[in-house]
Amino acid sequence: MTAIHKSDALVIGGGIQGSSTAYHLAQRGISVIVLEKDTVSRHASGVNAGGVRLLGRNIAEVELSKAAMKMWHQLDDELDADTGFRARSLINVAADEADLNALRSREQQMHGLGYFHEVMLDKQELRERLPHVADHCVGGVVSEQDGYAIPFHSTQAFRVAAERKGAMFCEGEQVQQIRKVGNSWLVSTVTQQYQAEHLVNCAGAWADLISVMIGDNVPMSYSAPMLMITARMPHFSTPVVGAVSRPLSFKQFENGTVLIGGGAKGFADRANNTTRLDYSLLASGAHNAIEFFPIMKTACINRMWSGLEAYMPDNLPVIGKSTRSNNAYHAFAFSAHGFQLGPVIGQVMADLICEGHSRFDLDPFKINRYERKVL
Amino acid sequence: MANTLTALSFNNSYDIAIIGAGPAGMSAAITASAAGARVVVLDDKPRSGGQIYRNVDASPLVKPAVLGDDYLKGSQITAAFKRSEAEHIRGVNVWHVGDNGEVLFSLEGETQRLTARQVIVATGAMERPFPIPGWHLPGVMSAGSAQVMLKSDGIVRDGAVFAGTGPLLYLIVAQYLRLGVKVKALVDTTPKKNYVRSMSEVTGALSAPAMLIKGLGLMNEIRKSGTKVYRFADSLKVMGDDAAAGVSFCVSGTSHEIVCDHVFLHQGVIPNLNMTRALGLQHHWCVQQLCWKPTTNNWGQSSQGFVSVAGDSSGIVGAESAAAMGRVCALGQLVNIGLMSEPQAVTEAANDQKFMARQQHFRRFIDCLYQPIDQHRKPVDDNTIVCRCEERTVKDLKQGFAQGGREPNQLKSQTRCGMGPCQGRMCGHTVSELLADWRNEPVDDVGYYRLRTPMRLVTLQELSRFTDVKPTVTPTAVNSEELDSCEKGSSLQEKAQ
Repeated sequence: MTAIHKSDALVIGGGIQGSSTAYHLAQRGISVIVLEKDTVSRHASGVNAGGVRLLGRNIAEVELSKAAMKMWHQLDDELDADTGFRARSLINVAADEADLNALRSREQQMHGLGYFHEVMLDKQELRERLPHVADHCVGGVVSEQDGYAIPFHSTQAFRVAAERKGAMFCEGEQVQQIRKVGNSWLVSTVTQQYQAEHLVNCAGAWADLISVMIGDNVPMSYSAPMLMITARMPHFSTPVVGAVSRPLSFKQFENGTVLIGGGAKGFADRANNTTRLDYSLLASGAHNAIEFFPIMKTACINRMWSGLEAYMPDNLPVIGKSTRSNNAYHAFAFSAHGFQLGPVIGQVMADLICEGHSRFDLDPFKINRYERKVL
Repeated sequence: MANTLTALSFNNSYDIAIIGAGPAGMSAAITASAAGARVVVLDDKPRSGGQIYRNVDASPLVKPAVLGDDYLKGSQITAAFKRSEAEHIRGVNVWHVGDNGEVLFSLEGETQRLTARQVIVATGAMERPFPIPGWHLPGVMSAGSAQVMLKSDGIVRDGAVFAGTGPLLYLIVAQYLRLGVKVKALVDTTPKKNYVRSMSEVTGALSAPAMLIKGLGLMNEIRKSGTKVYRFADSLKVMGDDAAAGVSFCVSGTSHEIVCDHVFLHQGVIPNLNMTRALGLQHHWCVQQLCWKPTTNNWGQSSQGFVSVAGDSSGIVGAESAAAMGRVCALGQLVNIGLMSEPQAVTEAANDQKFMARQQHFRRFIDCLYQPIDQHRKPVDDNTIVCRCEERTVKDLKQGFAQGGREPNQLKSQTRCGMGPCQGRMCGHTVSELLADWRNEPVDDVGYYRLRTPMRLVTLQELSRFTDVKPTVTPTAVNSEELDSCEKGSSLQEKAQ
């Protein structure tokens, strides 16, 4: 016999989405328990590239991302912690005329929707902001509010702030079974039992398994986006840098190390919590970095790694209520760009639980958006 | 005839890939290739021999005999290795060994790839970090680097203080003295209680009396030279603000200070873990040697079936046992790939296994006698640096621990301790032991860092040119002049560590 742990809400997954959800719920006086199968921030939330990016967002995400960005700029104060957030601006570099054309049509679309945070740069403006950019680069686009944060510290900051407000985090608790009895969700782990009225699925690369237990099918996949970081090098770039049409993304931290990403995927072994790297793809990432920034030729790679991340076929997350069960909610499959949304997603989840709705249009993120209506 | 490969073309698949050409790697290669296995040996030095037999067949010294008989013995095994059919890729940095048998290595600034059915890790030992106040200052080096400089380039430092414990420390001091180099003092931190405790192992030591006598001989040699020797020292510190200015220590409560510009520290050796950890092999904490060891069976086979670990990288065994272990690992793998029957391997391994068992008695005595004291492994002073790359102190780690960094990887994410270029080589053991104390739990429960590729720094440019579809091979051999400069480069690298 084991005593059952009761709370108003149960969150499954101790990444940034789960920790932020716990924080926002606790802040509103909702008792909440977070079940994390490993340790908080162990997977994608702890080892991602830390990009805090509004630039180039899918239109469906712009409102959420704008709201999140506003929160990032005050997050250290709000959580009374150091998330490592630095507003450094983000520049996507255009390598040729085709890139510039793509930027122009994006600008037209954004302006048409009333969004003006993405500003195009000509060749000279680009050079002023990025003196070490390669000669062949013809321009770019900048978002001034963007920057980076330290993912592990950010997620921990939400966790600690949530705990201060009474949330409970249980690590090493892998969910084995979920049942709905009356109005209660009953969740079992290997040794413990939990009961709550509301259930939130923030299980990242394992969220499809939790969805099925809740009663929602979802065509989610998972993969292992790869990163590498260099040893310290002389300061050469303040803004975070991306490329319009190439898989390239890097940022130089204050200590001089350069984190290089770009979304290339390694091989995920979800059952064993591990990944394997694809070195030839990392090689092409290295090639891109040098092509855009020749100064990086002599940079020494210190570590390469990847984390386990969930993806949807359209690379948009699942955010919202379960379509099959009452009082169950999802926030997962952020497809390698969910870190920046973390602060606002917790708020959205808390709104759905406390108010029954969100001020954001969540239709594009419905879990059943791939269900075929007619055969 | 042995094929020594540098930039010449090599096959890209082998029966057995051996990482490291020290006594373990060389003897494994000799045994395996004699039985018909296609063997490749990859090593970071320009010549075979490992650390112990570094440059044994090409010493820069006029009279290499000062380095001792044990060193000279190495030329027999290096000669046998050269006669073997094993291919030897030298002067390369292996920067990745995958759990699929993929080996990536840097050869003259280009990354190359090969695959092997079986892998033997024989990456040897490294000196145990000595995290005391001031150990990070310029002018402080490990005693091992003093020996590397001596064996590779014939360079010595006059008027240095040697401090610490363990046979290697006394050996290097003796080698210095034989060359007429002045040694300011030997500060021996072996505590009295170790002499008492090790007496219980003395029957073991007596089963290998030759080695014991050798050790006593070194101490006598040092005393006779008139070198100042302080015994039973503790509370060792390196003085100085921007560079080493001397050492301070206590002997039975009396404090001493010696002014000097060069300090060589040494408190034994531990397995070089980066490869076995990066491979994700199972490890355990060895209470006798106070270090992590990959868990292996009688054949040196690790938790990952196709990987065996031989020599000091599996736990400190010494050169002769390492050579025996290399042979045993090779026999086990010959069975795995179908080139030898199991009964034959059992028969052929019997003598080596018996020898290793006998040596273990002596090892217990040595481990007990030269066990480094707690305060020199688990720093207590808040300002002592634990992680040299990221300059993290005991105080930083305590803070990280208080904020939830209860396990080495969490603590690393929290504080950056272990995130630098050495990938935790210099702080990993300290962190495991400190956390075990703070948590009041066994070190085994605390664990170690998850290690990442690359095991050696690789430039972005080198990686950018890598393709695993078609290896690019330069058709020119490296001549001996270039090898010499390469050699200096590698010794500099050792010093930097």
